Amino acid sequence: MRDHGKFFDFLEVIKRAESGEILKEADFDKKLGKKALALMKQYEIRYHPESVIPLDDGLADRVYQAAVDLFLDLGVYCTDTQRVMRFTKEELQWALENVPRDVQYGREEETVSVYPRKVEDPRDPICFFSAVGTPVTEEMFLPVARSYAQEPLADTFSGPLITSYKGIPVTSGSPIEVEAAIWNTQMLREAARQSGRPHIGIHNFQSTGEKTDATIASAQEGFGAFPGDGLFVAAIAEMKVDFERLKKVAFLRQSPYVLGALYGPLMGGYAGGPEGTAIALVAHHFLGLLGFSAERHNSFPIHIHHVCNTVREMLWLISIVGQALARNTHLIIVSNAFMASGPCTDMVIDELCAHSLTSTISGWHLNPSAVVKNRYPMRCSGMEPRIHAEVGHQVTKMGFTRREANQIVLKLIEGYEKRIPEAPIGKMFHECYQMDKIRPTDEYESLFAKKKKEWRELGFEVS
Amino acid sequence: MDLFKEMAKAVIEGDEEQTVSLAKEALAKGVDPTEAIEKGFAEGMKEIGRLFETLEIFLPQVIISAEAMTAGVEIFRHYLLGKEGDIPKKTVLLGTIQGDVHDIGKNIVKIMLESNGFKVYDLGRDVPVSNFIEKVKELNPDLIGVSALMTTTMVHMPKLMEALQESGLRTKVKIMLGGAPVLPEWAKKIGADGYGESAMEAVRVAKRLVGLQGEGKGDKA
Ligand code: B12
Repeated sequence: MRDHGKFFDFLEVIKRAESGEILKEADFDKKLGKKALALMKQYEIRYHPESVIPLDDGLADRVYQAAVDLFLDLGVYCTDTQRVMRFTKEELQWALENVPRDVQYGREEETVSVYPRKVEDPRDPICFFSAVGTPVTEEMFLPVARSYAQEPLADTFSGPLITSYKGIPVTSGSPIEVEAAIWNTQMLREAARQSGRPHIGIHNFQSTGEKTDATIASAQEGFGAFPGDGLFVAAIAEMKVDFERLKKVAFLRQSPYVLGALYGPLMGGYAGGPEGTAIALVAHHFLGLLGFSAERHNSFPIHIHHVCNTVREMLWLISIVGQALARNTHLIIVSNAFMASGPCTDMVIDELCAHSLTSTISGWHLNPSAVVKNRYPMRCSGMEPRIHAEVGHQVTKMGFTRREANQIVLKLIEGYEKRIPEAPIGKMFHECYQMDKIRPTDEYESLFAKKKKEWRELGFEVS
Repeated sequence: MDLFKEMAKAVIEGDEEQTVSLAKEALAKGVDPTEAIEKGFAEGMKEIGRLFETLEIFLPQVIISAEAMTAGVEIFRHYLLGKEGDIPKKTVLLGTIQGDVHDIGKNIVKIMLESNGFKVYDLGRDVPVSNFIEKVKELNPDLIGVSALMTTTMVHMPKLMEALQESGLRTKVKIMLGGAPVLPEWAKKIGADGYGESAMEAVRVAKRLVGLQGEGKGDKA
């Protein structure tokens, strides 16, 4: 159960949302862009395409300092009140020092303890297997969810979503959303049971319902959401929150569920290029810590046009942000993989490898994976996180340094980066899994085996 | 003509003082405002759009250039208004649909439409169907642009189409849809006039729908 004394006072957050300085949203957006650019110059933060996994600790620390400045200067925007909530340096420091150093998922034999990782940490990353809300049909929900829950390297799992329930389209704000949300929780726990892992943690037990009422309605032990499961609260845009999200915080703080924060800044968007977006992403962690009382922090920075995070600039950003946070805080940080290509393609396997290598070496835990730019129904499976997690475990086993990892990642990127804009969409779940056994097809397995052989040539041995 | 090139350059550099003074210069020289906008400022903005598509520049620079262009265009409008004329602008009512707070895509579409001469009424995010209807009645736009990023919210789009029918507004206004889960075939199926895969395409489709030049690959939706 959470210790409220270790988090910033949430009632104070609500008060500040109602009493902060009034500012037009467009002006806040502009201020972010300007400030991020100025800080990038002041702290001499430069993206380097050949140094995707930077070796320069000083650079990581400067990104961290720039983020502190950004957060203190800019504050957090609440769109419902059009006000800026500000926090002091002392408040930030207090929260960073007091934050609990571990968080538990799952129950009994499935209990996993998540801890803050370090750069080049020899300990294995915790792997949160996730279908990242890919739309699937009602009949396919259970098999798809099982394909994640059953994976041996899955420390926890989460599911896809349905777009229609008993023939009725799931519409935001309608009673059908509540119905479907409850069903969603029940089916995830059922998937855990059918996989022989009834007590496994579900780190996000709600993907179909999004409104706060539907989410809270589905949060019941009777439906299969147990203490040690969790939910996410997202920043609704760069450094912004709204009441709908803060209502989830109000509920989750008092619940037995793990509160995860979710940040998806767009590289090329309001915060500018890779450098500005890196600064902003670190600052989002302060937003989540102080504003949401988050116990773990999930990041999915993405490229504004390609909607993935496996291109060069994105991997640099992921690495430097991970290093900045791992070196300067005790926060539990998790890296969400967003692939451009789809299941059962060689490209997706290389993208997963590059993302996992970069994240693991840079201090992150792993949250694989959204595939095909996270927009195509039925295109996801438990095989993608398996690949990602195997790579992550292997990185720690081999005891890579950042320099070694960088060389491998560069080779991987060279192999796929030109194909990103027209990345293949791959196969649907039932085309790359044997449905009777819920196992990847031989084709998918041998594709992975072939890739492992190629990686061996690069000096990366995945058994 | 050099003046047009300079105007384009001022937009690309996001230099508001310069766009304003070049607009004044053009007026002093008796250059036709519409021509100056199209061959000068708009060319600059086109280049900005291209640079953003390849991420040689990022959103903040796009916003600054769009503002510089707007400031310059305002000088022309001011002049024409003084002579009881105006630059006719096609109007777009834009918003992210009910239940959906994903608005970055919509905001980029807005910037691109504005810098291509449209007047945009931005209703923001999480806009109820009923609000769209009220605003169509109130503002009488040429076009409605609707964005949805979630499967649970894009289902409000057919409801908007129905509501437009029922209130007798459907024939008075064109409608174009966008956002990642919206596919062109689907937009067509629910009876939309156009679909745009990106902000640049939104501009092309919008132009076609209101009878200006322009085309897009999804515009047959
Ligand atoms: C970034 C992002 C966020 C950010 C949004 C920031 C913001 N203010 O916009 C944050 C983190 C806040 C967020 C929150 C959530 N998100 Co989200 N998010 C995304 C993501 C990864 C990218 C969207 C994006 O901004 N792309 C970049 C922009 C530039 O592209 P775009 O929006 O597509 O716009 C371009 C074109 O489509 C077009 N266009 C757009 N609009 C229009 C309109 C017209 C008229 C035209 C012609 C063209 C056009 O032009 C634009 C520019 O080129 C998508 C995945 C995806 N592939 O889309 C998920 C996604 C949309 N999110 C999703 C979910 C589930 C959520 C949350 C529920 C998460 C949570 N548990 O809290 C909340 C929902 C909040 C809500 N009620 O809306 C799901 C939706 C699933 C579904 N049901 O369909 C997606 C698909 C991811 C997933 N599979 O889980 N998200």
